Amino acid sequence: MLVTSNAGQLVTQVLAGEVWPPLADRHGFRVDPDGHAFLLPGMGGVTLGAHCGDPATGYAADHLEPGLSVRHRDPAANYALQYLTCVGNTVVVTSGPAAGSEGFVIGQHAYVLVDMPEQALRGVTAGDQVTVFAVGQGLTLLEHPAIKVKNCSPRLLAALAGGTGRCGTLQVHVAARVPAEAIGAGAGMASEYANTDLMGAYEVGGEELSLGLHGLRIGDVVAMTDTDHRYGRGYREGWLSIGVISTGSGRLFGHGPGPSTIMSGPADAFTIIDDPHANLAVLAQALPQKENA
Amino acid sequence: MTVDATSAILPAPGHSLADANDATPPALRLVDVNLAATVEQASVGSDPYRIDADGAPYVPVGDGGIVLGVRLGDGVWQHPGDHAAPGACLVHPDPAAGYALSAQACIGNVVTVRTGAAAGLTGVVTGKRGEGGRVIATFPQDTLRRLRPGDQVAVRGRGTGANDPAPGVTIRNIDPDLLAVLPVTVGPEAVTAGVRAVLPSKLVGNGIGRPTPMWDLDLQLNASSARRYDAAGLRLGDLVAITDLDARYNAGYRRGWVTVGLVVHGGSPQPGHGPGVTAILIGPAGSLRAAADPAGHHGLSEEAALDAVRDLL
Repeated sequence: MLVTSNAGQLVTQVLAGEVWPPLADRHGFRVDPDGHAFLLPGMGGVTLGAHCGDPATGYAADHLEPGLSVRHRDPAANYALQYLTCVGNTVVVTSGPAAGSEGFVIGQHAYVLVDMPEQALRGVTAGDQVTVFAVGQGLTLLEHPAIKVKNCSPRLLAALAGGTGRCGTLQVHVAARVPAEAIGAGAGMASEYANTDLMGAYEVGGEELSLGLHGLRIGDVVAMTDTDHRYGRGYREGWLSIGVISTGSGRLFGHGPGPSTIMSGPADAFTIIDDPHANLAVLAQALPQKENA
Repeated sequence: MTVDATSAILPAPGHSLADANDATPPALRLVDVNLAATVEQASVGSDPYRIDADGAPYVPVGDGGIVLGVRLGDGVWQHPGDHAAPGACLVHPDPAAGYALSAQACIGNVVTVRTGAAAGLTGVVTGKRGEGGRVIATFPQDTLRRLRPGDQVAVRGRGTGANDPAPGVTIRNIDPDLLAVLPVTVGPEAVTAGVRAVLPSKLVGNGIGRPTPMWDLDLQLNASSARRYDAAGLRLGDLVAITDLDARYNAGYRRGWVTVGLVVHGGSPQPGHGPGVTAILIGPAGSLRAAADPAGHHGLSEEAALDAVRDLL
């Protein structure tokens, strides 16, 4: 993105995390939009076969978290990990057979979510340790004081298309525009924690559930209409938030594929450009290729 | 509530499990349960401040515990506060028992104080609040003054599992008998509810995607933005209708459906939060009809709620 920022002044914190296992309760099942029970994988642990650029929906999964789902055992250290980690941060596996493998953060979902090459993912399991190089909170766009940047690494900012346009607005390329009606679970929560689930992209149910979001891909940059995410995720007419799709298929009603917020401001501070290539896959392409036995 | 045909709410005498194969399912008998609960103490984190939608810090007042001076019928933005509810919040120290408390307590249930200076006095459940499972109980103000956090109460839970009041219309979170004091008409084909306002689903913030027996739906409105929706006069105890929302299980978007709920707590400066609605009736718009009366609507009053439980004592 062609924009001036304070990226050169930001500090990086080295944070420890652990690949966290999927969790269930002894009753197993949850409830879909029509009241039917389901039991599906997707949240927590290591989820294979879904990477940036792949479809976000169409899986037999619930709360699909691509790649690694990472937490810290200590609650306060975990909040630091969740709040300080930004989309695009580098993550290195430090234990287990995949030690040394590298990936990058695609968002938060009460876990830090990490995309890695499939070959490396195969060697990781719950309990493996990772190191996150957390940098990005505090990032400021010098020409756009009305826009609040959050959860966005300098590396992601640099990789995004767009920048300051001739009329002074920030041009942001997005793969989809999300209507306010689609905002599901995650509303009212801090925008540095978890993400915004989008409704209307279920694998089940009738047409009356659809909000036209089935074409989303993991990593897509999206614009959320009428949202102000500067100090928490809320509805506000005339405001806009930019996010990246960090989670996929959701079967639980009121949930679904979700963006992690990276920017928020008055809508007139942005110029939104529809671009099907606006996706975090640009970061994957920039990753150094490492071979891991 | 008025009933213009045989009510499907009440259990039909003489029905038994032997009728299970009939085309019309038998009306099942509700069971009453005595639930133990504790009057909540308001609590905050180590930092006194929360951050409002514009980034300004504020100290939350009235968020949980015992709140004096906030009553059913008050405007939801009348008192400067954060999620202030009319009365006292009831909780249980064991999280699982707390979820059961909120799932099985219903609006209109009688609450009896068992310990402390208010022992023997009664109130009534007038709502539920999410995240951890809280029940809102309304008491006369002189009873509330004698309550103290930690006092033990019993909630006579009744209503969860109630039969559909009309075909396709689901009832949740309210003792069906209490519909009699609300502007709700049950007909053979449809239920009609008089409401303060009809609001679009996009206004629902915290609570969306959560199980409605344990979580209320916050309306992302403030005193200023409410004018756009003819909802500036919103009061505690009002009924509101939310369009394109299905709150039978978790709350989520479903085109053509309506959720009617009771306004159970006041506004909030937090982004994504606001006046809370406990869902009570859910159905397709053809079966659940809402009639808005922004100026003249009368929802649940303190007197009517307390009167309704007097016979149960």
